[in-house]
Amino acid sequence: MKRLTMLAAGLLFSAGVLAGAADNVSVQDPYVRLAPPNAAATAAFMVIRNTGDKDVKVVKADNPVSKATELHTHLNEGGVMKMRPVPAIEIRAKGEAVLRPGGLHVMMIDLKAPMKEGDSVPITLTFDDGSSKQVDARVVKATAAPVPTEHRQH
Amino acid sequence: MSERILSVIAVLLAALVLGLTFFWHPELPERPLPLAAMPEGGDFTLQSADGPVALRDFRGKVVLLYFGYTYCPDICPTSLAATSEGLKELAPDELARVAVILVSVDPKRDTPARLKEYARFFHQAIVGVTGTPEEIAAVAKRYGAFYAEQKVATAGDGYVVDHSADTYIVAADGKLAGKIAHATAPDQVAAIIRKYLYQP
Repeated sequence: MKRLTMLAAGLLFSAGVLAGAADNVSVQDPYVRLAPPNAAATAAFMVIRNTGDKDVKVVKADNPVSKATELHTHLNEGGVMKMRPVPAIEIRAKGEAVLRPGGLHVMMIDLKAPMKEGDSVPITLTFDDGSSKQVDARVVKATAAPVPTEHRQH
Repeated sequence: MSERILSVIAVLLAALVLGLTFFWHPELPERPLPLAAMPEGGDFTLQSADGPVALRDFRGKVVLLYFGYTYCPDICPTSLAATSEGLKELAPDELARVAVILVSVDPKRDTPARLKEYARFFHQAIVGVTGTPEEIAAVAKRYGAFYAEQKVATAGDGYVVDHSADTYIVAADGKLAGKIAHATAPDQVAAIIRKYLYQP
């Protein structure tokens, strides 16, 4: 029931912010790394393209499978990996932001239930003008080349 | 006159040779690591869900040692996935002579049971171990691994653990022999393991 309410609210909300930054943004190859059973956290990756003439920022991400969703990056300082929350992910006009292992990612913390390979996780990206976009990210088991070949554009 | 010219040329040549000696240092394609750069490594005993695990128990095997934690959503899975994919490229008789130990750098949250589940997800050959903060710090120090808890604004208990992401290679004689860099491709991981499996 709660989920339904959230969905309804989400639909109303997205209808109200048509013609925002979200319209100029496309997302390619979104995927969630399959977390080990009972792992507390995992990450989602994707390529976010901005076809518009204005810079766009992703200021928030949400998803229904983890209690918290954050924007994070990794700094590699002399071989020491430092994961840090970032306030926003900027996508330049006509540019792209690449979220990939070892760098920027959507951090999913406190997973509510174990996920399965092939599950689809709806991730909502909210932009700095308040518009938002939902992408369906497939759950993929991590290998050395984790980017799925399949294009799932929304 | 010609003698003076000759001596001027001789002085110039000498200056050139000296200059080259002092200022020209061509890069060698591969510089051997000075021995002092390799940390001492050595035996340790830490706790797994199935009891104590001592490095000594694996004598005769090539042991890969990784320092990570189960709340790590990206770096550790990337390293451990590459390691497990590398292990899958080995023949069964080769795999039987390899062990992988995941040492937790987050003993506050990583219980042996949680570590076991996390390690098994990547490969059956990986055993997850933990200990007291002091024990883990001592092992990490001896292997040259770095980690530090960092308070950041995150829902994940308000901290993350910064850590070095190389995989240490302990040879069959128990001595620290080398490192595999983070994000090394699986076929290279397998090649490096084989190098130590078959070294005289």
